[in-house]
Amino acid sequence: MSKNIIEIHGLKKSFDKGRVRALRGVDLEIKKGEFVSIMGPSGSGKSTLLNMIGAFDRADEGTIEVAGIDLMTTKRLDKFRSQQIGFVFQLHNLIPNLSVLENVEIPMLRTKATTKEMDKRAMEILQLMNFPNLSDLVKQNPTRLSGGERQRVAIARALVNHPSIILADEPTGALDSKTTQMILDLLKDLHEKENVTLVMVTHEPDVGAQADRTVYVLDGKVKEKET
Amino acid sequence: MSFLSLIVKNPFRNRTRAVLAILGISIGIATIVALGMITDGLTASTQTTLSNGTAEITVTATGSNAFSATGGTLAENYVTNILNISGVNSTAGILRGITPAAGTVNGLEVNGINSSQINLEGIAITNGTNFADGSNQVIIGKTIAPVINKTVGSTITLFGKEFTVVGIYQSGNIVTDSLAFVSLTTLQNLTNAQGKITIVAVKIDTGANATNVANNITNAYPNQLTTTTATQEASLMDKSMSGINTASAAISVLAIVIGGIGIINVMIMSVFERTREIGVLKAVGWKSSDILIMILGESIILTLVAGVVGILLGYIGSEGLLAFFSTTGSVIKPVFTTNIVVRALVIALVVGILGGIYPAYRASRLPPTEALRYE
Repeated sequence: MSKNIIEIHGLKKSFDKGRVRALRGVDLEIKKGEFVSIMGPSGSGKSTLLNMIGAFDRADEGTIEVAGIDLMTTKRLDKFRSQQIGFVFQLHNLIPNLSVLENVEIPMLRTKATTKEMDKRAMEILQLMNFPNLSDLVKQNPTRLSGGERQRVAIARALVNHPSIILADEPTGALDSKTTQMILDLLKDLHEKENVTLVMVTHEPDVGAQADRTVYVLDGKVKEKET
Repeated sequence: MSFLSLIVKNPFRNRTRAVLAILGISIGIATIVALGMITDGLTASTQTTLSNGTAEITVTATGSNAFSATGGTLAENYVTNILNISGVNSTAGILRGITPAAGTVNGLEVNGINSSQINLEGIAITNGTNFADGSNQVIIGKTIAPVINKTVGSTITLFGKEFTVVGIYQSGNIVTDSLAFVSLTTLQNLTNAQGKITIVAVKIDTGANATNVANNITNAYPNQLTTTTATQEASLMDKSMSGINTASAAISVLAIVIGGIGIINVMIMSVFERTREIGVLKAVGWKSSDILIMILGESIILTLVAGVVGILLGYIGSEGLLAFFSTTGSVIKPVFTTNIVVRALVIALVVGILGGIYPAYRASRLPPTEALRYE
């Protein structure tokens, strides 16, 4: 861990014509390869912060540089998301009519990868997800999988384009405690093996505590840091 | 999986909705195909008529025309008088009358002509023989024969007198093939029109100009005779065909509009249901244009499938319809051409693009954060 992969200074973001001030001047630095959890009460701005890092939206003020790219000025936010970011949602958001393999291939569909290359890469990633019967599972629709299995497929989808950062928004929010720990172990394992930076929003202290560092967001500002 | 295979798969996620959408659009396409086949068939039938017609000029009394004239409105001596006009090769007097006949709505049109001159009407006996002059024999067109349920050997009452059907003829003309021909003198006697005719069919000399000969006739008998040349008949036919084609085009436009609205509705519903999914696609790096192409592609896939189904339905429908209405079915042969297939598929493509563009644009403009928040 050395240089910062995420550098945010004085970041502000409002919604509803300025009536809702989600971020009120956030300062945050995250080093490459770090596992950081972002915690805070509902409505504190933690998901908005994650969305700003993932370039889902542009901030109103401040500076934000992620993986060396200035997100306030770059025009190709989609390219940045495709190449640098893997996103894991609370609800897996898999496409129900596609097979597990096809769901994992979705981020590669608009790249220059051939069908063969996509199949190979998706299988490689799925093999890291510790599925017992992978050859059968890849052909199934996600509707037949358990919550934990679906989330593992979603994680595979997030990793398939070799992102430098994984952003996870409440990835265990809809899972029981046993599955939660299994998903966390998997994320930590991948974080170490693939050397990706992991930024996870959670409101569960037990989950947040497993990160290298926890950042608290309150009323749109980073209030406290723990190492 | 490829981007194209995803586009092909997506519309069929909700199979019931996809099938209903395809059915809705395909009915419109089927209408276009069926109308196209029937109008093309009608055009082909008309073209056969005009090329086979042997009399180039039809002469009627002033105030009537070749299509509408009936009854003894002309003196029979015009038949010989016109023969003396420059450019005229041969003439035939024809008396037209209409008599009630079972199976017809407006009655049966009976034409009286000398038996040796039926070639001037461009007809050929396909079954049986020609009638004899002065007899109570009749030949009937192949179109009307099944309608009035008569064949060679049958008897039929015309103008209160029993006739024997001695022949069935064919001309290739839907109108001519719906008539009956009897001896001129017999019809004149039956209708109290001795020495009277309705029209004079005129065949011109080889190399003569039909318009010039027609002018010679009207100039020779000003305010007495009107002429209609084959070209003018063709022009009148063209006007009728143009009317049918305009109606056909109007129905096609209507089908496109209805199909377009249907597809907009289906695609908006689809985009609405997949809002979160669109958010995910954007989150994983898809460009707005990728989303636009995907939704537009799905719309085009739906309408192209509807196009193929519509072509099949239209083909089966037009054949079935004309077989059912055998009155016209025996003459108008629906014409199924590559042109109709291409037209139907192009219309399907246009409906797909027009119907899909707005939902696709809406989907492509969805901000990822908003789409992902959607419940």
